[in-house]
Amino acid sequence: MKKLLSSLAFSALLLLTNSCRSGDKNEGAIEITLSGWQSNPIESRLLEKVIDQFEAKYPNIKVKHEVINSQYMDVIKTRLIGEVAPDVFYLDAFEAPLLMKYDVLEPLNSYIKPEFNLADFEPNLIDAFKRNGNLYGIPKDFSTLALFYNETAFAKANIQQPPKTWNQLIEYSKKLTLYDQTGKVNQYGFGITPELPRQQFIIQAFGGELVDRNHYAAFATPESLKGLQLVIEQYRHDRSSAQPSDVGASSGDDMFGQGKAAMMLSGAWTIPYFKETFPNLKFSTAEVPTINNRKGTMAYTVAYVMNRKSTQKEAAWKLIEYLTSEATMKESGSQGFALPSRRSVLKGLDSDRHSLYAPLIAGSTYATIWQAGETLPTILTNFDNQFVSALIGQQSLKDAMQKAQDTANREIYLSN
Amino acid sequence: MLNKTIWNKQSTRETVSGYLFMTPAIVVLGIFLIVPVIFTIVLAFYRVQLLGEVSFQFAGFKNFVRMRSDERVWIALKNTAEYVAIVVPIQTILALGLALILNTNIKGKSWFRVAFFLPTVTSSAVLTLIFMWIYNTNGLLNSFLGFFGLPTYNWLGDPDVALKGIMLMNIWATAPLFMVIYLAALQDIPESLYEAASIDGAAPWEKFWCITLPFLKPVTFFVIVMGIIGTFQLFDQSYIFSSGSGGPNNATLTIVLLIYQYAFKNLDMGYALALTLMLALVIMTVTLIQRSLFKEESLD
Repeated sequence: MKKLLSSLAFSALLLLTNSCRSGDKNEGAIEITLSGWQSNPIESRLLEKVIDQFEAKYPNIKVKHEVINSQYMDVIKTRLIGEVAPDVFYLDAFEAPLLMKYDVLEPLNSYIKPEFNLADFEPNLIDAFKRNGNLYGIPKDFSTLALFYNETAFAKANIQQPPKTWNQLIEYSKKLTLYDQTGKVNQYGFGITPELPRQQFIIQAFGGELVDRNHYAAFATPESLKGLQLVIEQYRHDRSSAQPSDVGASSGDDMFGQGKAAMMLSGAWTIPYFKETFPNLKFSTAEVPTINNRKGTMAYTVAYVMNRKSTQKEAAWKLIEYLTSEATMKESGSQGFALPSRRSVLKGLDSDRHSLYAPLIAGSTYATIWQAGETLPTILTNFDNQFVSALIGQQSLKDAMQKAQDTANREIYLSN
Repeated sequence: MLNKTIWNKQSTRETVSGYLFMTPAIVVLGIFLIVPVIFTIVLAFYRVQLLGEVSFQFAGFKNFVRMRSDERVWIALKNTAEYVAIVVPIQTILALGLALILNTNIKGKSWFRVAFFLPTVTSSAVLTLIFMWIYNTNGLLNSFLGFFGLPTYNWLGDPDVALKGIMLMNIWATAPLFMVIYLAALQDIPESLYEAASIDGAAPWEKFWCITLPFLKPVTFFVIVMGIIGTFQLFDQSYIFSSGSGGPNNATLTIVLLIYQYAFKNLDMGYALALTLMLALVIMTVTLIQRSLFKEESLD
């Protein structure tokens, strides 16, 4: 009976899908799925347009574009396990090592033709998706962090130049912190995001490391603490910096946009966001101030990767190739949510018109890519958990970081 | 003899048709409830790797031994227990109080019932987002506290109050459901008992203590059990509050959130299932203890 019922249900489902299918115009077309997240509706519309162009060029391939907005990696991992993952999907560099290790991605080396000009891509970004000589993803774009500063607040405080060093940043932050009559702060000098993706370069500034060679957490060293201590001290002693929740903002960008912080570190995505959400905001960008006389910033990149279990690999590669081609990148680069990963396109950006982007582009030469082996998700959870507690003064930074490192390493050890 | 076989035949037929009618339910429950439960119990003793090459490796009690030295399990247990210990009594008393008020003949009774019940039918994710606005540093709650000259808090960022904030929200959201259950039970108490008590000269307080409460005992047992199960499974609120990390400094870490982290962030399915099993055992134990407590009292 069970069998009968399930086969009945199955045939009903089959009928249903078939009747849906027959509605398609071009019979016999190959359908591939492209999954990603949507950081912005404008960006999504642009991608739809590019996909339409792709479908016009390859009439026998139909692309189903699917947006997964929340818990993207959980959804993708679960689908990979269930073997119903999309053919092509976005992958953040920081999650890439795990998926590469488990062999669920298709190596792309054999698909790449010389005219694709792989050498044109920023080598750091390509390296982020390489394992044992295999390339698993083609970077779609990237962004570094730069210092954003509120020009109006700077003019009011009589500061002409953005800070060049971290000490200057701390000094300016004091000047830029303004109080109302009751003694409440209504503008902080510096907005911080106390999360590891924004702190890794600070850990490295004095020679510290996030992970050791075996991918165990190693950020509780005196060198790392020296960098992080700068962030903690400014927050606790100077009280000239704030996190978004302190001022009731939803994010660092929101805090800056509302004028609650006069400086912050953020990426390319912020520029179009401000133009749309806070059109009257007068802001500019500069390179991230040097710490310990060293230039440093973070770089975040996302690639298109192919599912190893995909049944339409040729078509999937055609899509990746098209999406990362020079022509497509030129078009999407002009929107300014991220920087193009091809050097030729990056160079082609009109530097005068894009002066806001210049510090971000400059950062790409010395940025730390947000990636550190397959253990990073565990390290990230534990770091974020404890760093905040040091920030609000529950425990010393040293204790907090030691605790975070120990917990992370125990979990890594036990899961190996 | 003949009769017997016919009877037997009929009974088999009845059984068959009975099962036939139940088949949809059995299939659905089997696939979505019983099979997962069996899988949970079995796989909790395995090292499971699902991504890429699927592999199962028998691990004996390793997953359970690991729990003992996992500090975060204890923190999560402590947080969850604290949460249960505070939320369940308050929400039960609040539900009873509201039900008692609405059981009297006040004006606009049904309007109040609907208004009180609304939070329960609202999705908890939406509620959490609304409450995050209320808890915002410049939000409603702080403005309210500030207006009366009371201290204000960073409800979302301060670990000392983060869990309390979630408690407050959950009490507000679940008490009405139990209120409705109490309300139904209150209407079942025969009016004649109260009349008899009045004739005997009982004060309202005595009536409540000697008639209402004993009559509500089975319902109270149900409400507390459901409350404990619900609160032990706290997940979505603390997930949204801490964006999944359980921080700051593990202040909002609950068992289910920890299970989620191990299962989906670390892909450590075996250990996550062992934790699930542990949670089930904890809930079962608490329920059993309660049952014996309630039974003892009814013997007096």
